[in-house]
Amino acid sequence: MAEEAKKDIPEIVGFACSFCSFKASEMAGSLRMKYPEGIKIVQVPCSSRVDPAFVIKALFEGADGAFVAGCHPGDCHFIKGNYYTRRKIAALKEMFKAFSMDKKIKLFWVSASEARRFVEKVEHMYKEIKEGNNEGKKG
Amino acid sequence: MKGKRVDKKTIEVGLNQFLSDDRNLVLGFAKEPDGVSHRIFKNELGPLSLFNPYFGINGAFFLRRMFSKGQKLLLLLRPCEIRASVELVKLTQTERESIIAVSVDCLGALSSKDASDGLPDDYKEIADILASSEKVRPACKTCKERRGIVGNAGIRVGQDGTLWAVPYDEKGVEFCGLFAGDNEELPAAMLVGEATKTEPFLSDMTEFSKDFAKCIMCMNCRDMCPVCFCIDCVFNGNDYLPKGDALLNKIFRGGTTSLPSGKELFHLIRMFHVSQTCVGCGACEEACPQGIPLTKYFKGISERLQGMFSYTSGRNVEEQIPYLTFLEDELKDAAD
Ligand code: SF4
Ligand code: SF4
Ligand code: SF4
Repeated sequence: MAEEAKKDIPEIVGFACSFCSFKASEMAGSLRMKYPEGIKIVQVPCSSRVDPAFVIKALFEGADGAFVAGCHPGDCHFIKGNYYTRRKIAALKEMFKAFSMDKKIKLFWVSASEARRFVEKVEHMYKEIKEGNNEGKKG
Repeated sequence: MKGKRVDKKTIEVGLNQFLSDDRNLVLGFAKEPDGVSHRIFKNELGPLSLFNPYFGINGAFFLRRMFSKGQKLLLLLRPCEIRASVELVKLTQTERESIIAVSVDCLGALSSKDASDGLPDDYKEIADILASSEKVRPACKTCKERRGIVGNAGIRVGQDGTLWAVPYDEKGVEFCGLFAGDNEELPAAMLVGEATKTEPFLSDMTEFSKDFAKCIMCMNCRDMCPVCFCIDCVFNGNDYLPKGDALLNKIFRGGTTSLPSGKELFHLIRMFHVSQTCVGCGACEEACPQGIPLTKYFKGISERLQGMFSYTSGRNVEEQIPYLTFLEDELKDAAD
């Protein structure tokens, strides 16, 4: 029963940088833009704070998907944090590809002013995962 | 490339000369009454075993948090062990200045669990044993670098069985200086050649669950991995693998749980953490009491992830570990 309900509302854990993507998510709220309630955001001081272990933990402890969101390359508040993020998360995706699970992880660049972009990105991911789950249910 | 022709006798004489300095040590293999093991020789060389067909522990393991003060440690180890020592230098887990790393051509190895009486130490005998055994370690079957071409110098075997001491940098020249003789041009082909390329590792969680079904989460694999060095491993506290009350709390929140829990969590996180530094030595698998095919996963993933950055762990001490550096203009399609 609980399993069924869970499949209908995918849960996605997002790690968002407090200087950009997290601000964008707040702005989306104040502009009354809606994004799915299954998306749970964790604020991090910089996207490079995200040890891929966090993402793996989120995925194996119940989340249907996880994303890391940071400032566009070149715009990091700490100058170069997101370049490290890019390497680490690209490698993490490659690892999940080797286990045929790469659809579960996404990396977004969203600046503080891009509320619309933030909503589009997370909605798109949400839809993709929901469709994937439904297919899994049928099969 | 140039090197010096040596033989077991010259090597012994040279190493004894090195050890005559009280501050110098040699870490290599020693013949023991019941097989072979690592040994640090002081003052004089004991029963050194330059070649042997058994792998138990990756010798770089002993270098972690070894910060010598003026002493010199000469390593005479397999290429995968030297490569791990190079990674530990990059991770500032050991002192670069005090180490002279010499890699010895490797023919592959059996598990130390399969060691039998009588230790063959002639490379021909070893080659015969390995060729006739079905038990060559998976790590050795798929080894990426068996040639003694890593570290400061190498001991290489020519196709005719001649041993060569080959320097790769200044320290290597110092090492080769321990042996009498002149530098000569190395033959073009040696006994141990370049490895053949393997297909990128591919698996899925069904296969993973099957392969790890018998894992008892003892974490020996982590503890014996030469490059898994964190004192404060994330798996020691209650955050990732809760124990006791923390485990009960989690079950009350999350529901029925099969035990031991967290196998995917533990192995996948460790796989990522060592992805750039793993040397594919198979020490993890060797340490596993349950016969889990760890090398297939750890070596497979690490080679795939190192390939993204054209990196090979332990190949060159000057190369930065990929997660600790970046290029501004790269990975354009990493973001979604
Ligand atoms: S050593 Fe083997 S049984 Fe122990 S945790 Fe590692 S894989 Fe599991
Ligand atoms: S598993 Fe990760 S955190 Fe633990 S010792 Fe290895 S690298 Fe460090
Ligand atoms: S993960 Fe296994 S194969 Fe890789 S370095 Fe550690 S012990 Fe060796």
